[in-house]
Amino acid sequence: MTANAMPTEDIVVSAWTATSPFGRGADALARGLAAGRAATADLDRATWPGPFDRAALIPGFDVAGILGRRGTRSMDRITGITVSTVGMLLHDSGLLDRDGGVVEDPDNVGLVLGSGGSVQSTMDFTLEGLTGEKPYHVDPARFPNAVMNRAAGQSAIWYGLKGPNATVFGGAVTGLLALSYAARLLRFGRCDVLLCGAAEEFSPRRAWLVARTRGGEATAEPLGEGCVMLLLESSATARRCGRRALASVLATRFAAGDEHDGPRQTLARCVNRALAESGVDARELRLVATSGADGALGKEEEAALADVLGENPAPRGPLRLEPRRLLGDTSTASAAFQIAAVLAAARDRADLDGAVALVTSVDPIGVVGCVVLRLYPEGQS
Amino acid sequence: MSSVVGRQRVVVTGLGVITSIGVDVDAFRAGIHSGRSGVRPITAFDTSGFAHANGCEVVGFEPQRWIRRLAVDELGRASQFAVAAAAMAARDAGLSHDAIRARRALVAVGTTDGESRDLDQLVQLQLDRGTEDVDPVLAQRVDPGRLSTSIVRELGLSDVEVLTIPTACAAGNYAVGYGFDAIRGGDADVALCGGADALCRKTFSGFYRIGTIAPEVCQPFDRDRKGILTGEGAGIVLMESLDAALDRGARIHAEVLGYGLACDAYHAVAPLQDGIARCMRLAHRDAGVTPADIDFISAHGTGTKANDVTESSAIREVFGDRPPPTISIKAMIGHAMGAASALGAAACVLALTGGFIPPTINHVNTDPECGLDCVPNQARPAELRIVQNNALAFGGNNAVLVLGRYPND
Repeated sequence: MTANAMPTEDIVVSAWTATSPFGRGADALARGLAAGRAATADLDRATWPGPFDRAALIPGFDVAGILGRRGTRSMDRITGITVSTVGMLLHDSGLLDRDGGVVEDPDNVGLVLGSGGSVQSTMDFTLEGLTGEKPYHVDPARFPNAVMNRAAGQSAIWYGLKGPNATVFGGAVTGLLALSYAARLLRFGRCDVLLCGAAEEFSPRRAWLVARTRGGEATAEPLGEGCVMLLLESSATARRCGRRALASVLATRFAAGDEHDGPRQTLARCVNRALAESGVDARELRLVATSGADGALGKEEEAALADVLGENPAPRGPLRLEPRRLLGDTSTASAAFQIAAVLAAARDRADLDGAVALVTSVDPIGVVGCVVLRLYPEGQS
Repeated sequence: MSSVVGRQRVVVTGLGVITSIGVDVDAFRAGIHSGRSGVRPITAFDTSGFAHANGCEVVGFEPQRWIRRLAVDELGRASQFAVAAAAMAARDAGLSHDAIRARRALVAVGTTDGESRDLDQLVQLQLDRGTEDVDPVLAQRVDPGRLSTSIVRELGLSDVEVLTIPTACAAGNYAVGYGFDAIRGGDADVALCGGADALCRKTFSGFYRIGTIAPEVCQPFDRDRKGILTGEGAGIVLMESLDAALDRGARIHAEVLGYGLACDAYHAVAPLQDGIARCMRLAHRDAGVTPADIDFISAHGTGTKANDVTESSAIREVFGDRPPPTISIKAMIGHAMGAASALGAAACVLALTGGFIPPTINHVNTDPECGLDCVPNQARPAELRIVQNNALAFGGNNAVLVLGRYPND
């Protein structure tokens, strides 16, 4: 581990998993997305009060059922979702030993989580103080849930991940920012293996906040939840550990709109820069996963892609993915779900070996981002 | 990003600070030199029912001085602090907003609470109004992304990677470290990085409940220390490559030499000696220095029983029996949460340029279990070359930053 950095092309995704409204695991998500049926359902209003009647919840999510009762009592929903998803990825990649710790040098296994924490836990903690007999009659075991790095920190504790442990946030773009953050840590040799992803929970308090920040029909689009986790490492580390690359990260790029340029111009410029950096022509793109934002913002995103892709409509144009249509608005986890949708769509597709995929994201605040990936559905060693 | 990363040297050319002992760099420098205390009774929320409620609040902050494009009342207090500190750092660097806009930028703001002060307010309003519905203006403001995106919008930046880093009380060092890597790797030409937080009921009540709020003052490394005082503010450093700074004839405050990140993977709130020691060693290796090179340590030094003895033990593990002077500015400005280590970094930069070690105030008897020279009560003149800034957080999130004088002869 020296500061001799390596080229970004060398950063690869060697495994991934997800907990989604289609269930636990990559298979469940891939099957659900391929079937094309929305995962939304009517909410049980007794359990889930709030402004929404429908949502895309993780079916029957029960953290104690997955991780056991010991140590899970004080975990809130987002923490349980994250810890259990991290566990699935470690297990699937053969990184867990029989005692539930990591097999490889734990100092060099880290976690980069895109998360804004739980507004439910945070506001509930305040409420407890405001309504209790004394203002400090709050549950100390739940204090960490009211801090945004809880899910990442608890995952590290649960599995003994002693490498860098970071939480990053940037609205809808969060998943791409997490990937960029993780890739940079790897490039500078700050860690050998990183679990990288993003998480979101459904909660009544989140629902109220989203409803009151959306314009127009505030509750028309249901909310979703879940967690996506990628295993990220250099291709050299993957080879050394006998893991095959499923994708390599060619470029990440971000930009912000201003009074001159709206999301369309900003995103088009951002994507063109990322493609140039990747040495890829827009006509080479085989898959494009968009955020599918609601309303005007979504139209701007589409217009930007039309600007970039030119006159190249389906069936000759790239395969288009928009997981939000099926998963609902997963907010902080949305861009990570777009990456997962690309990886899911490429599974068992030998014809996509070496294909280039683009993931774009737009946030209502005016920030945009994109990631360019080269896919190896068969795995490259 | 497609070529092998170079090894740009990274320098700090701008500082912006909002603190309880001064709302600009000159006042902060004077404060950490004279050992000023920012302690006063908390006014941020109704403190009735708490036996004691001192804190380190920012007073005399005039957001309109720094926030020109955005509507101040559409920003929460933490975002206001962040934007003001960023604008201050840009001005201190002698860079107009247009000049920054013309470069590829990275903006990263660390935080513990984001806009939890507004979340507290939302809960109070729900109780008052008897509804779970939320106020739309506050609902917009509570997005923790706004701590960083508001800087981008105020400065009108476009070619920018912008993120909030909510790694709690080590977040400032995480953010500065991230900017350092982006500049060093040539991914950004300019980085505005640091941390911001606003004092809030939620965090005060949590620390109070676990018995870590000091009744009157914060006394790091003192035998009779009684805990933290919650604080607030923002610290933003403007970084660029040494070449870029020299090209434009910028005044260079200090060089960022390296940093380290490590996780305890041990406990949700309690620190662990091994994780802190490992983090310091990683920072030294990244910076290409040895423990003997460090002229003083700006400790996490919260003033709790557990933190100070654990951090001291980790320091002795790495530095041996005679560690360098180790101070905590939290005695002066309280625990500013996500801003804490960013303000620690700013204090290190000002110490390097000013040739002094800031004092640990409120100090009476050094705890023999800590056994450190904490530069009690009076700043100490010193020729400083290389200094270290520690940060620990909930979840065992450790981050250590190493800064050097420039020119480093």
